[in-house]
Amino acid sequence: MSSNGIPGPPPDGDVASVAAERGPLAMEAVSLGKDFRLGRGAILHAVRDVSFNLYRGAATALVGESGSGKSTVARLLAGQERLTSGSVRLDGQPVDVSRSRAFRQYKSKVQLVFQDPFSSLNPVHTVSYHLERPVKLRQDKHSRQEVSQETAALLEQVRLTPPGQFLPKFPHELSGGQRQRVSFARALAARPEVLLADEPVSMLDVSIRLEMLSLLDDLRRRFRLALLYITHDIASARYFADEVLVMYAGQIVERGPAEEVTQHPAHPYTQLLVASAPDPDNLGSGLHAGSGAERRAENTGPAATGCPFSTRCPLADDRCRRDNPALQRVSATRAAACWRLDAAAPDILAEPQGGGL
Amino acid sequence: MSTGHGAAGPPAVPPPRGADEPVLAISDFSVVYRTPDGDVQAVNRVNLELYPGQVVGLVGESGSGKSTLAYGACRLLRAPALITNGNVRYRGRRSVAPMEILHVHADDLRRLRWREIAIVFQSAMNALNPVLNVRDQLVDVIHAHLRVSRQEARDKAGSLLEMVGIPRSRLRSYPHELSGGMRQRVMIAMALATEPEVVIMDEPTTALDVVVQRDILTQIVELKESLGFSILFITHDLSLLLELADRIAVMYAGQLLEFGTAREIQHEPAHPYTRGLLNSFPSLRGARRDLAGIPGSPPDLHDPPSGCPFIPRCGYATQACADIDMRLLPVASSLDPAHVTACPFVLPGTPAPPGPAGRPAATSTGS
Repeated sequence: MSSNGIPGPPPDGDVASVAAERGPLAMEAVSLGKDFRLGRGAILHAVRDVSFNLYRGAATALVGESGSGKSTVARLLAGQERLTSGSVRLDGQPVDVSRSRAFRQYKSKVQLVFQDPFSSLNPVHTVSYHLERPVKLRQDKHSRQEVSQETAALLEQVRLTPPGQFLPKFPHELSGGQRQRVSFARALAARPEVLLADEPVSMLDVSIRLEMLSLLDDLRRRFRLALLYITHDIASARYFADEVLVMYAGQIVERGPAEEVTQHPAHPYTQLLVASAPDPDNLGSGLHAGSGAERRAENTGPAATGCPFSTRCPLADDRCRRDNPALQRVSATRAAACWRLDAAAPDILAEPQGGGL
Repeated sequence: MSTGHGAAGPPAVPPPRGADEPVLAISDFSVVYRTPDGDVQAVNRVNLELYPGQVVGLVGESGSGKSTLAYGACRLLRAPALITNGNVRYRGRRSVAPMEILHVHADDLRRLRWREIAIVFQSAMNALNPVLNVRDQLVDVIHAHLRVSRQEARDKAGSLLEMVGIPRSRLRSYPHELSGGMRQRVMIAMALATEPEVVIMDEPTTALDVVVQRDILTQIVELKESLGFSILFITHDLSLLLELADRIAVMYAGQLLEFGTAREIQHEPAHPYTRGLLNSFPSLRGARRDLAGIPGSPPDLHDPPSGCPFIPRCGYATQACADIDMRLLPVASSLDPAHVTACPFVLPGTPAPPGPAGRPAATSTGS
């Protein structure tokens, strides 16, 4: 690789992931694609050519706005939705949805935590029922004593103590944060390798969110979980993820180490996302300065041809409207899908290749 | 009294002139919810003033009583809610004498609502009528509160939409044909249709994406500056208020714990709860901070603890906290007498003690 002087990055989106430093490869998403038929022949490309790896003990954040396809990616990985194209591999083995026995094993290794703790627990069952079932099914524990020991241990792991006080309760007797802890415990009961957390804290109160994210972080470390943290909040991704993947209109438009992507975003969409986040350190100035026309976001959907962001991008030119850019390497650990990186992020491109920031 | 924006952002927000009367003054206001298990003290002796042209932010967690306070002040609550104490005084430019909202006759109340005080409700997704197009809903509002002809009302509906950044051509659209952000803009247009003096906004952008959220907030500020109304902005997102609001009221368990300018709340937070909230947001810019969050959860308002409701979650709490009378007093170290706190013990700048026993402080990855 050239060390300096060559303008423009090599056209290669295959960059090393910083998450790989945490542990061995657990899950590979290879060119995932998912189309939904909308009727009258219309097709929605919800996920297009999405590839990434999850590593044991590492947190990868998937960031995007509603409708960007981030939840669909989680459902594809969990096997709840059939792939239109691409494949998922766990521990090097391709996932076969048609073989029910193998797929059952896969499902216990890959657990999903949902956004809404109010609807993801069954209102007619107690906490202990929610936890006993996965313990019996996935851990092959059957004696009553083993099961109750295990459920109590699970509640302690998610800091619902003393466990005896929570086991007989019904979901409606718990607060939102406590319910989400039960959801975490239920996911852990299957002894997963991969945890897919889809907006796990966005329904919770602000003062509780941080504690829940810390808990998730703690569980990731202790059980060496490969964590996919799906969120619309790029600021929390900065704190709780090793690598950040930014999604727009079903595609990954930028990826790289969390700190670098949030502090020096390369793709114009990531830049818009970062600029739009509330910034208490910037009292009053942003809102009073008036915003650019490109902010009129909801009036312009993603483009049908070319770069999906071209309808909103201030830098878009004819090539952007014609051809959809692939992810290209920006540094050893970063990539972005943009034709105009020279204008969007000149200082990032100017840095010597291979080093990162 | 100072404002949240010193020399920061032109155009500067007009300061609340000392001689000015507040456009809305809520005093000693209490609301309970009557339940078979006893009363729930949802709002407890709250004092809050909104001056003309100001944005006052009301921040609190769910169940802290912030919406109950705002709706109660407009007499919009139904049983089992019951206003047990206080009064709410409204004084607009158009009104001759101040009105005691809690005591006015039903006819006057009807004129007051929307004409003088409008509300943008939470979840615009559900607040619009799905079987009427946008124009008809706007025209309905205009006809109900203003005396104008059919044609004038239709024209006004079009200009209202344009004012909030939606092309006039969308007048015939139905709510399901609009995006979430556009629906929220329609709600704002409806609230502004009668040129109210006070607009209460209850989590108007919570369900929206950050890019759309910022877009709408920018627009709200622009409209406020051109039309000159005041805003009571209710949200759980303190980081948003720090940018948007002139003054911020921090609410917890039905009580105000602190009230001050955005700058004071950010740089000299007096109450331990305010500090906890400030430490609950991962910051996107600047150096990575140690985030703490607030362990525990809010108290059960069926059986409120005596003294300060924040005691179980407070790292500074002492024996004396259970005996304090929860009154807002000026922060001793502050030059601004309007910066008030309910905690008489902790001063801004006091180093934080270790968290309450048994709870490890939160850490983040990479450290």
